[in-house]
Amino acid sequence: MSDRYVPVQWNPNKWLYDAVLIACVAAYILIYLNLGNPAADVTRPADGAIVRMRAFGTCAFFMLTAILCIGPLARLDRRFLPLLYNRRHFGVITAVVAVTHSTYVLNWYFAFSPTPRLEALLGANTSYGQLLGFPFEAFGVFALIVLAILAATSHDFWLNFLTPPVWKRLHLMIYPAYAAVVAHVVLGYLQDTKNPAFALVFGAAALSVAGLHLAAHLKDGAARRAKGAWIPVARPQDISDSRARIVKMPDGRRAAVFRDGARIGAVSNACAHQNGPLGEGRVIDGCITCPWHGFQYRLEDGCSPPPFTEKVPTYDLRLQDGVIEIAAEANAPGTPVTPLDVPEASDV
Amino acid sequence: MSDPVSDPVREREAPFFIGWATIPEGLRWFLGGIAIGLVVLLAGLSYLTAATQDDPGDGAFMGRADAVGLLQAAPYPILHVTQSDSFAPGTALMLTGNGKRGAQPQADAFDGQLVAVSGARISRGDIIALQLRGGENGISAAPEQTGASLPQPRDLGRWRITGEICDGKCYSGAMRPGRGLAHKACANLCLIGGIPPVFVATDKIDGTEFFMLADQDGGPVTEHVLNHVATLVEIEGSVERHGAMAVFRIDPATLRLAQ
Repeated sequence: MSDRYVPVQWNPNKWLYDAVLIACVAAYILIYLNLGNPAADVTRPADGAIVRMRAFGTCAFFMLTAILCIGPLARLDRRFLPLLYNRRHFGVITAVVAVTHSTYVLNWYFAFSPTPRLEALLGANTSYGQLLGFPFEAFGVFALIVLAILAATSHDFWLNFLTPPVWKRLHLMIYPAYAAVVAHVVLGYLQDTKNPAFALVFGAAALSVAGLHLAAHLKDGAARRAKGAWIPVARPQDISDSRARIVKMPDGRRAAVFRDGARIGAVSNACAHQNGPLGEGRVIDGCITCPWHGFQYRLEDGCSPPPFTEKVPTYDLRLQDGVIEIAAEANAPGTPVTPLDVPEASDV
Repeated sequence: MSDPVSDPVREREAPFFIGWATIPEGLRWFLGGIAIGLVVLLAGLSYLTAATQDDPGDGAFMGRADAVGLLQAAPYPILHVTQSDSFAPGTALMLTGNGKRGAQPQADAFDGQLVAVSGARISRGDIIALQLRGGENGISAAPEQTGASLPQPRDLGRWRITGEICDGKCYSGAMRPGRGLAHKACANLCLIGGIPPVFVATDKIDGTEFFMLADQDGGPVTEHVLNHVATLVEIEGSVERHGAMAVFRIDPATLRLAQ
């Protein structure tokens, strides 16, 4: 949370996160160039530029795979949620690695020619009508442009400027970008190489991304969409203290019904910052705290405590025959709603 | 009532991470394990991926070389060596320009003449290319030698051959690897720049597996083969020997993917 923009709001956890990422990239590249490549069974080693473009290209692929696994892993097991915290830095570093790969490609395969490099990149191979020999570079260019756009708009300034829903939709472009990377590798290096080792690792990585997303989707799908003007949620004592019960509303959105001791309040499940799942957060010092980046909202009005200005929609609640019911219609963001007072719930 | 999305008992026990706060005790070992595991996993993947790269062959630049010989400009510049410290007489050199440029602009004026050439030798197996130095440093008229004339083409008949179309320079060793689908755009760029296309056959014919490609009239064929570079194809045409150089005069209409 911030009431002003700074380039990066550093804290010890971010330093640690980035240090691990840089250690990963350094280990990958150094081992590829200095241990793996010399161990390859070759008559003469491949050109240095080609080895480096392979090192950075495969590194970017594995990093992107890891990034896309974080989301579903966090939904399947909350212990992975801290990996989401600084995922934007993960994305930016991946984009830098991918740009390095493309720089080696441009300055090797598409250099030394009277044709300008970018023109050569797009015009040297135009066999778009065939699968074998398809210009797989086009998929790489698309993925690189997407990664660059996502890295450039990863800052909170763009999040606020574009609004979280638009920003989130824009950043969902990472999925077409990943699909393009898969096509780039399948139609290029994978059709070329004779050794099956990389194909097996590549396939396992891509299937991991698909499998984890499917598993997370199936888990999410367990919640049914409710009907009616008032929707029963749970008995107060069935909601853990400082935690929430997530409800799928008739309009498809989700609400989070929190209990803070004897007080029970409800807000939208989508954090105003990055649409993070507020209902998977916790009430800390009277404020609902998002599990993704720690953004906080008051239980009684969905507003961030001053000087912060973020707001989320609230919901009316009522107690009917000992069961909490939530209104189907959300209130405008920041609308005060007196929390239900249920003293017996806090005795549990 | 609504379906619970998560288990309340586990929720109560689970440590809660907040980015700007200290990492909860219960998560430290887990996150430390993830961090170490990720570094180790990527290190392992790196080694595996790098150590299983394919052999790019033995082609390479082999240093400076000079030669005197008879220049044949079509379909692409070839030097039939008559005298050299680097090559045996009778060797056929595929001439190229610098980078992804053909030698045609330098060679055309000397077609059929005795010339002195100088440049960087590139070779892979039986195929030898010479990357000419610029201008007159690369190619110049040599004193006339009595009786020197271009070798007469020897017809080896009509063939249907399976193999891969490559750019002659990268395949010879200017790049390693210098063939294959990942290299296709680079090969096309070389061919567009005037580098001779060569056909690398799966089986030898008349003792060779390398053929310089030409059209049916013996002229350049580059524009007809660009879509088929780097894939395994079958082509029909007639094979000729021009001294030590095998030339495959193809019928582009017969080009198709090999079964």
